[in-house]
Amino acid sequence: MGDKAADASTAYKLSCTLNGKETEMETAPARKLLSILRDDLELTGTKRSCEIGRCGACMVLIDGKAVNSCLTMAYQCEGKSIDTVEGVSAGGIDPIQQAFLEEGGFQCGYCTPGMIISVKALLDGNPEPNDDEIAEALSGNICRCTGYGGIWRAVRLAAERRRQPS
Amino acid sequence: MGTNAHEQETIQSPLVWHPQSAADAWQLKQNFGADAVYAAGGTLLRTQWESGLAKMPAHLIDVSRINGQEEPIREHESGMTIDAATSLAACRSDALIARKLPLLAEAVKQIAAPSVRQLATLGGNVSSLVGDSLPALLVYDAQLHLFGGAGEHWEELSDWLAATEQALLSSQPASRLLIGITIPMPEGTTDSHAVAPAQEELVSKTKRFGAYYKVGRREAFTPSVVAAAVVGSINSSGVLEHMKLAVGGGQTIPRRLKELEAAFAGSELHAATLQRIYDGVLDVYEPRGDLFASADYRKSTAANLIVTELWKSAAEAVTGGW
Ligand SMILES: Cc1cc2nc3c(=O)[nH]c(=O)nc-3n(C[C@H](O)[C@H](O)[C@H](O)COP(=O)(O)OP(=O)(O)OC[C@H]3O[C@@H](n4cnc5c(N)ncnc54)[C@H](O)[C@@H]3O)c2cc1C
Ligand code: FES
Ligand code: FES
Repeated sequence: MGDKAADASTAYKLSCTLNGKETEMETAPARKLLSILRDDLELTGTKRSCEIGRCGACMVLIDGKAVNSCLTMAYQCEGKSIDTVEGVSAGGIDPIQQAFLEEGGFQCGYCTPGMIISVKALLDGNPEPNDDEIAEALSGNICRCTGYGGIWRAVRLAAERRRQPS
Repeated sequence: MGTNAHEQETIQSPLVWHPQSAADAWQLKQNFGADAVYAAGGTLLRTQWESGLAKMPAHLIDVSRINGQEEPIREHESGMTIDAATSLAACRSDALIARKLPLLAEAVKQIAAPSVRQLATLGGNVSSLVGDSLPALLVYDAQLHLFGGAGEHWEELSDWLAATEQALLSSQPASRLLIGITIPMPEGTTDSHAVAPAQEELVSKTKRFGAYYKVGRREAFTPSVVAAAVVGSINSSGVLEHMKLAVGGGQTIPRRLKELEAAFAGSELHAATLQRIYDGVLDVYEPRGDLFASADYRKSTAANLIVTELWKSAAEAVTGGW
């Protein structure tokens, strides 16, 4: 068996880029990214709800793709670039957040950070999504309040603004 | 609360091993036995741990690096191979899969949501024994590249599922490692023989059909109640040829309905045949029911899906002018 195969640990040092900053931290290798963000680093913009990948409240960007942080284990983040909703709004309110505000894309707001992350991943990869693509991209984000009408409008507005920067 | 949760998760956290080859992964599993599980994306495992269906093991064997450096989705002389560790997101966006294995592309599109598919792998879906990709892979005659006690070997997916189900029934689960999935393509073609470009259909006057259906309890992002795949062709005399049927969904281990495929080979496809195929599915398919959907409901749904596809294909063949 090669040396690397014997490379296992409970006290594990995770190296990754978090919201643009290179970060190293001691953690358990199978610890959920959601727990690391919220409980260890107090980045509470990422929400905790179902914890089994079914609601999307805990969505983060990993290498630019939307991923459920409740399903992601620390070792799966090694060398990756992770962005939370705090990172998305680090330079001021993001145009996607602005579109949600303007179009009433939220009520209680619990699903909103996850929605913003999924919309960002969608528009960064596909600036002109059609309705099917929007529906697929947001299919993992559940909202119990809005009935989705405002969310649809916000996504369309955000996409439109990207095409025609003021 | 944070500290307690942290401590709890740290105490429970398994050791994670990162073997770089199938042989190393296999050896680790031999060493730790029931205290270790293979982990690919970990999405199903997480669901099992959180729901209490399975305990977090003492050792996780991360199988995401066992495939080496090759292209994870590749075409070769005898077909197409997809490494087990390929994410469902990579399968979903792959142009080769979209073109050559459209039923697999459709199946993958309907598994979970894009964010889960970033982690979830095709190998994990197959190894779960009840993944929704299985009916599509079954009608493509997929073969599995496995690593077991006797080293590397190949097995028909259909045989492997049946054998694994038997082993589970006799409480002797085999712990073979899945390396990759190969879809054979007939010699001299560059196409899975289930797939035909529309032009080819017109030229040959043989209508080839193929469809994958998943029925859940809501429209999207839902576990399957029934997942079915059908391929075949209808020749210019309206005769059914090369039909392959596979059904699964829910907690039922999918299987090919080979008895029906054989019984209806060469049958003329008209209303009475469709009725007999419908009855045949009710007869041979034995799904597991649960609180949400009974076994009978699943049977009739499967029969309806299959017969609808055959009926549509037969109708198209007629309106297609032959
Ligand atoms: C929110 C959510 C929705 C889901 N929806 C669906 C759905 O619609 N349809 C569906 O089919 N599934 C669904 N799943 C289940 C799961 O995500 C998929 O089956 C996925 O493809 C599993 O892949 P994985 O890489 O995450 O597997 P893992 O969780 O890592 O492993 C699954 C099983 O396979 C074994 N395994 C993994 N890789 C190998 C290997 N190479 N060799 C041998 N054994 C191996 C593991 O030990 C484990 O028993 C869903 C899961 C979640 C969390
Ligand atoms: S908390 Fe992660 S998907 Fe619900
Ligand atoms: S705004 Fe309340 S859950 Fe979406």
